Amino acid sequence: MEELIRVENVTKRFAGHTALDNVSLTIPRGVVYGLLGPNGAGKTTLIRIINRITAPDSGKVWFNGHPLSPADVPHIGYLPEERGLYKTMKVGEQALYFAQLKGLSKAEATRRLKAWFVKFGIESWWNKKVSELSKGMAQKVQFIVTVLHEPELLIFDEPFSGFDPINANLLKEEILALRDKGATVIFSTHNMSSVEEVCDHITLINKSHNILSGSLNEIRRSHGGNIFEIDHRGSQEALVAALAAAPCTLLDTSISDDEAVQSAGSSLLKIHIPNDEDVRDVVAIINNHTSLRSFREVIPSMNDIFIRAVAGKL
Amino acid sequence: MGKIAIIAGREFNERVRKKSFIITTILMPIAFVAIMFVPVLMMNIQSDEKHEIVVVDQSGTIAPKMQDSATIDYTSSDRTLEELTAEQQDIFGILIIGSDVATNPSNVQLLTYESSTINIESEITDQIRTILEAEKLKAYNIEDIDSILEAIKTPVSLKVKQLGESGETKESSSILNIALAYIFGFLIYMFVFLYGNMVMQGVIEEKSNKVMEVMVSSVKPFQLMMGKILGIASVAVTQFVIWVVFILVVGGVAMSLFGVSDMMAAATASAAMDPAAMMGAAEMPAMDGELLAVLGTITDPTYLLRILGGFLVYFIGGYLLYAAMFAAVGSAVDNEKDTNNLQLPITIPLILAIFVMMSAMQDPHGPLAFWFSLIPFTSPVVMMVRLPYGVPGWELALSIGLLVATFVAMVYLAGKIYRVGVFMYGKKPTLGELAKWIRYK
Repeated sequence: MEELIRVENVTKRFAGHTALDNVSLTIPRGVVYGLLGPNGAGKTTLIRIINRITAPDSGKVWFNGHPLSPADVPHIGYLPEERGLYKTMKVGEQALYFAQLKGLSKAEATRRLKAWFVKFGIESWWNKKVSELSKGMAQKVQFIVTVLHEPELLIFDEPFSGFDPINANLLKEEILALRDKGATVIFSTHNMSSVEEVCDHITLINKSHNILSGSLNEIRRSHGGNIFEIDHRGSQEALVAALAAAPCTLLDTSISDDEAVQSAGSSLLKIHIPNDEDVRDVVAIINNHTSLRSFREVIPSMNDIFIRAVAGKL
Repeated sequence: MGKIAIIAGREFNERVRKKSFIITTILMPIAFVAIMFVPVLMMNIQSDEKHEIVVVDQSGTIAPKMQDSATIDYTSSDRTLEELTAEQQDIFGILIIGSDVATNPSNVQLLTYESSTINIESEITDQIRTILEAEKLKAYNIEDIDSILEAIKTPVSLKVKQLGESGETKESSSILNIALAYIFGFLIYMFVFLYGNMVMQGVIEEKSNKVMEVMVSSVKPFQLMMGKILGIASVAVTQFVIWVVFILVVGGVAMSLFGVSDMMAAATASAAMDPAAMMGAAEMPAMDGELLAVLGTITDPTYLLRILGGFLVYFIGGYLLYAAMFAAVGSAVDNEKDTNNLQLPITIPLILAIFVMMSAMQDPHGPLAFWFSLIPFTSPVVMMVRLPYGVPGWELALSIGLLVATFVAMVYLAGKIYRVGVFMYGKKPTLGELAKWIRYK
């Protein structure tokens, strides 16, 4: 995949600590790239380096195959974690002002803004002062301002904080739509459920280091831990007894307590099959003792991977 | 440049539409006019109040000749001080003139129920002095002494004209020069401080709002700083122009209402009616001459142009110089409380300029005024003081040249500090650190 940004061995030190220590990563074009990590891991510092707000102490950043230069900055749309709007200015005027600074003509900016305001259902806010808006409302405005000039690269720092589920969903859809139109999105968060829904690629930064990087699907698959879930119609006890002789370990039978599952007449069982064993042997045993409905590998949630990675248990 | 214009446009629109701008723009000239006219009004109000003074004249020569003035009524009394203090309370005071006052003029006492004022005291001493002097003159037994005294009164009025280089003369008024020097010098000081501070607060607001972070992808910090400085400058110039127009209109109306000729006529009439106002009448021609000089000077277009043009040049130059420094300070801090130390290099030269201005008003061409009107940090204020008196062309050119060079350099340096400072959070930098930021790449 063609790369848009490559960060090479970037190190950034502040007076008291090292924010980024020899971090490298590659961001392909046209993906939603999740930048994950606990608070204070160095995500925002990395974003500020890509934005050219601060310079790295050492290392390099490449943009579109050439070293990142001030001329690239207009191709970036940045939504900072702390929202920045003039409180006493009217929403419409302010959006127009930012749009004009981004090089749009007044007419073009007005046209695009109106379209966005309609899309978000906030036409009536045009003449309101920002100080009259709630936090979430102001964030919607800020989001529009960020994407309005349709930059090549969009950077969102914690875009969903402060949003209700409905608006968070609206935003998610817009982010995916922007990606489908060709934009590359860097998306920093510690909200893992949004990562699974939105991100194509991720990098996990912890304590100034890049500890995990790659496509979301591959990462989840590779951290599966060979856990399988069995859904069957038959006696749970009989199956448990039968599996005692099989080359696997029983993990969890609690899911079978789920009423909905039981009323459907089926039971669930989780087992771990070590790498060197053949899955087919286990399936054969199960088949002999019960009526198998489904047998699938359990792919861990990003949340699990995140917690295990940060705890150093990967 | 386009972006700077957009930013300046926003600053201008936002600020001009603010209520506080409209209010100060309207109130300042009113306050200004009030400062000039209220004292005059106050004096009129005061003169309506009569002070009653009972005179106990032990010499018997003074009291009959004392004349009531606009503010004091004299009543002669034969009673003793003890009798008077026993009953009379509703008078201003008791004047006791000793019996030997002719030979011992300090044997005069004023006892008052309220605190006395300089005006009343000098009014009383003047009267007694004139009466005593007249008495002493009479002792020489000169014939027709009264008419001689009347005849020798000679009011002198000095008409001052300044010689131009080609020998032509023009009206010159020291009063006007001092007034304008003071007003415009102070106005520059005030404007630079007020609007410079506005720049600083704007920068702090942008920084704490994180607006800067949003803008970084579309504007360079330098553009943001320049846009803000220029936008606020245009607010200041707008306000100044409104004031000039306002003062011209109000001044014109006032002139036609209480016209110069009316004022003169009233003065002469009252002088003729009231012999006690003779002193005033004698002073009139002098005032007349001064007034003519003021009018002659202020209606001289080259003079006006010099003052107003000079004001604009020095205001803009001085403002740009200081606003750049204010912007740098604003960019370095997180909130206004932290600005105190950093503001010192800004406030010290400005306050120094005001001190030099005071002495330059006494001696507008002295070495102190000369040097400080060349130094860019003080020249906007000090040169404004010198301008009404006329400044050689080369001095003006050198002073403006230095000012322009310094503000260009200052805007450059401030831009460097700004660029680093505006993204620096949670730290209270020292002046030394600001100097270090200038060298950042």
